[in-house]
Amino acid sequence: MNPTAPATAPKKATVAQYKAALRAAKRRNEAEPEIDFLNITAMLDMMTIILVFLLKTMATSSTSLPQSKDLTLPASILQSQPHQEGVAVIVTKSQILVGDNPNPVVTLPSPESRAQSGLDAQYKKNGINDLHIVPLADALLNVREIDKKVREKKGLDPNTSEAIVIVDETTPYRLLIEVLYTLGQSSFGKYHLMVLQSKKKG
Amino acid sequence: MADLSASQRSKIRRLSQPHEHTPDEAGGELNIVPFLDIIMNVLMFVLATVAVTFTTTIESTPPSAGGKGPRIVTESKSLNLTLFITNDGVSIKAAGGSIAPGCEGIGPGITVPARGTDPETHQPILDYAAVTTCCKRLKDQSQDFKDETQIRITASNNIAYRKIIETIDAVRQTETGEQLFPDVLFAVPR
Repeated sequence: MNPTAPATAPKKATVAQYKAALRAAKRRNEAEPEIDFLNITAMLDMMTIILVFLLKTMATSSTSLPQSKDLTLPASILQSQPHQEGVAVIVTKSQILVGDNPNPVVTLPSPESRAQSGLDAQYKKNGINDLHIVPLADALLNVREIDKKVREKKGLDPNTSEAIVIVDETTPYRLLIEVLYTLGQSSFGKYHLMVLQSKKKG
Repeated sequence: MADLSASQRSKIRRLSQPHEHTPDEAGGELNIVPFLDIIMNVLMFVLATVAVTFTTTIESTPPSAGGKGPRIVTESKSLNLTLFITNDGVSIKAAGGSIAPGCEGIGPGITVPARGTDPETHQPILDYAAVTTCCKRLKDQSQDFKDETQIRITASNNIAYRKIIETIDAVRQTETGEQLFPDVLFAVPR
C-alpha cells in the first residue's frame, strides 16, 4: 500500500438513500395520534331525542298546570297517577273556564258573597238558591258534543263524559257543588278532582 | 452505506419534526367543548331552580242530592257514613244516627269539634287525626263494615275546598296506611 496515495473521499449518499433516511426519521419522530376532542355526536343525537320526548311529555302532562295567585291547588296524600282523559273545568279565584277556551264562562264575584249562596241569581235558572249555572251548562253543551264524538271514535261509552275539575283551594263548598251539580246535569258522570301530591297530611 | 452530508442530515431533522395542525386542518371538527360547558352550567341552574310539582286526581261522581247522578249503594248492614264539615267541627252521621262528641255512641252535637278558627282565612282548624280515629273505630265495630269504602261528604257553604280535600285524606286511610273510606261522594247541604 502506498502511503503517499491520497485518501479516498467518503462516498456521498445517493438520493434514494437520503429519502430512505428521511422516511426513517419521520417514522421515528411520528407522535401517537392524540385524541384532543371527544366524538360526542352520538351522545348529542341521543340527548336531542330525550329532550324532544321530555318536552312533549311535559306539554301534555297535567304537571305543566300553571300555578298562580289566582289558582292554587290543594295538596293530598294520594300518590296515584293523575287521570288525563276528560274535559278540563277550571275554577280559579276570579273565573270559571271550560276546556281550552281562554275566555271565562263566568266571572266570579267577591269571595264573601259567593261563600254563602254561590253565584249570583243572574247566572242561575231558578233564582239564587238553584245549583244550576246556566252559562257553564251552555259551554259544557258544546264541549260535550265534541267529547261524545271523541269517545265514540275511541270506543268509549258516549252516553257519559268525564271531567277533570281543577279548583282553587280557597273555593267555597257552595260554588264547588254548583259546578259539580251543573256538570252532572250536563251528562258528565265522573269527575277527577285535581290536587297536588304531598307526603304528609294537611 | 454512504454517509449523509451535514446539509442532508439538517434537512432530514427539519422535515421529520412533527408539526401542529392549525384549526383549519383539524379534520373539519368544531371544538364544542366551551359550548358544552355553558350548556351544562345552564342545565344545572335550570334543574336547581325549577320546582317540579306532581299532581293526582281524586275520583268522584255527581252530587247525589237532587241530581241525576248515581246514589250511594245502601245496604241494610252498612255503616253508610256521612261527614258534615261545619265551622264548629266535623259532625259524623252513621246509619244508626249522629255520632256523639268524642265519637262515643249516638247522640247530638259535633262529633269532632274544631280546635279554633284560622284568623287569616276564617276557616275552622279541624282535628283530622280525631276524624281518622273515629272513622276507624266506627269501621272496626262490625265485620259487616269491613268492605265498606264509600263515604258521603258535605259541608257548610263557606268551607274552603282545601278543607274538603284534607278531610277526604283523613277518612281515606289511617297513619299506618290501613284503608278506611277512599270512595268519596259529595252531597248538597240542606
